[in-house]
Amino acid sequence: MKTTFTIFKKELIDSIRDRRTLMAMVVIPLVMFPLLISISSRVIMSHVKKAKEKTLEIGLLTNDNALDLREMLKGNDAVRLIEYITIEEGRSLVEQDSLDAFIVIDKGFDRDVAEQKQGKISMYYKSAEDRDIERDRVEEILEDYEEKLRSARFESLGLDEAIIQTVNLSKHNLASIKERVAGVIGGFLPYLFIIFCFTGSMYPAIDLAAGEKERGTLETLLTSPAGKFQILMGKFGVVVLTGILSAAISIVGLYIGIIQMKEIPAELLNSILGILEAESIVLLLTLLLPLTAFFAGILLSVSILAKSFKEAQSMLTPLMIVVIVPAFIGLMPGMELTPKTALIPILNVSLATKSIIAGNINGALLAEAYVSLFAIAGLSLYSCSRVFGNEKSVFREA
Amino acid sequence: MIVVEDLWKTFKLSRQQKRERGDGRGPSVIHAVAGISFTCQPGRIFSLLGPNGAGKTTALRLIATLLKPTKGSITVAGYDVRTQSQEVRRRLGFLTGTTKLYERLTPNELVRYYANLHGMERGAFDKRKEELFSILDMHDFANRRIGKLSSGMRQKVSIVRTMIHDPDILVFDEPTVGLDVITSKNIIELIRSCKEAGKTVIFSTHIMGEVSLLSDDLAIIYNGELRFKGTHEEFKQQMQTRSLEAEFIRLLEEPRK
Repeated sequence: MKTTFTIFKKELIDSIRDRRTLMAMVVIPLVMFPLLISISSRVIMSHVKKAKEKTLEIGLLTNDNALDLREMLKGNDAVRLIEYITIEEGRSLVEQDSLDAFIVIDKGFDRDVAEQKQGKISMYYKSAEDRDIERDRVEEILEDYEEKLRSARFESLGLDEAIIQTVNLSKHNLASIKERVAGVIGGFLPYLFIIFCFTGSMYPAIDLAAGEKERGTLETLLTSPAGKFQILMGKFGVVVLTGILSAAISIVGLYIGIIQMKEIPAELLNSILGILEAESIVLLLTLLLPLTAFFAGILLSVSILAKSFKEAQSMLTPLMIVVIVPAFIGLMPGMELTPKTALIPILNVSLATKSIIAGNINGALLAEAYVSLFAIAGLSLYSCSRVFGNEKSVFREA
Repeated sequence: MIVVEDLWKTFKLSRQQKRERGDGRGPSVIHAVAGISFTCQPGRIFSLLGPNGAGKTTALRLIATLLKPTKGSITVAGYDVRTQSQEVRRRLGFLTGTTKLYERLTPNELVRYYANLHGMERGAFDKRKEELFSILDMHDFANRRIGKLSSGMRQKVSIVRTMIHDPDILVFDEPTVGLDVITSKNIIELIRSCKEAGKTVIFSTHIMGEVSLLSDDLAIIYNGELRFKGTHEEFKQQMQTRSLEAEFIRLLEEPRK
């Protein structure tokens, strides 16, 4: 134990003094969340503000109908009306992004409305997204106009508008704000924590195995009285620690990122910060611990097999995809922690983290995930000790 | 004392290695060491001489417990390398010319690390470190990162790393390869001082000059087999050529009986 600790201590000092490890373990996780949150919120806010405040360019072809709509549009300060254009010209201007929308009133619109029929209005717009602020604004104007006509029609018929509302549906979402926030960011966070665990472990694993082999220091270490398993455990401990630290630092980064958001409403901010309560973080880290041990075993095994730092890097980079895929599956809607998914490493961490954040984790399923993760971590360490014990892999030279 | 008896080390060749060695239809194994036997006595220097790829490094790695023998036995200070490898390593100092050091540590940290691995007590470590640092004049750079030291300074750190636990057995694998004249001289002096201190020393080289400077006993290895084994005097007496180099080459080219 003393020897393992001696090796652990030395490897930790050595790793902390390595700039690449420090970058992957501390700088990136600490800086990434604040940067990501800050940049994306600023970009989104500025885009929304611009779309809400801009003067809408609306083309209108009335065909001498719906003149009150024309007056409505003309009286709206946020609208610049472009008239006296043909359908083809209007469509072309929309396609060229010169118009936000082109409204065409049917030739028989006034007559149809007068005969209590449906008046036809066509709206041309260009939008590749479900949500489009400019389009929504034009639709709001048209809905106001429709509302005005409907009220007039009910009044002329001497009817109450409520007559057409056969069902009064009252919706009550009982999900807490915490659950709703978790639904939005709960899938995204474990994805990032898993990636940080992996990248945080990757550089120390390469440096402490392939790097040491390449530098010729491993041979000397193996001639010391330290046993191979003790050496491996010292290195393994450091790789696990750096992975966990990297994920923990990313939580600090996330906290910094959230509190620096000034535009966020206080209630929402408190809910998001509620996700980062001590109990959730401890649970999250206990899930990440066996996962990182699993990563460490694989990373060290591959790294010991590699002849050089570069070879280890090129062998381990594709492994990132193997990590990303199950973590990504956890992001998909409808994916939940079940007796089956709780057994799948990485995916179980992703889904369990989502539930922990939402505050609705099932104890039995969490226990199942732990069993699966500790089993896979043990297996990974065992295979790593086999590789490290094999003189052929240790002395595979460049 | 090191006793090597009928030592074999066989490596399986990968497909690529087989291809590199010919048309890929050759033998699937290689005998890096093939039935060698010799003894290294305390207070004497044993040279293992051979060209590159002869099996010197493999033989020394077997003695240092880095590799496991395929057949045969090695005892180091009375301990079997197979079953008592940790005891062997406790009594062993291993130095090669190509071994590097942890560049992000200081000489102080590195030496302390190896002393801890050898389970040295604080007092014994401080005394031994002070002694070695003074002999090698290392105090000025003891707290500088090794990555910033010159090759000569690094070699001094390597020497202290090898000697810190005062081992009885010293294994030097081509210790002067790639080193400048002054650093090589330091190593030669170190090997000689080990002999004077009554330690068992084995070193490998392909430089005849080093052999004549240091050797009490020597063995010539080629293709994993010993071509000569005896004292330095015996080697000189059986010489059929004028120089040591020429005799070395003659022995390598001599057909096996």
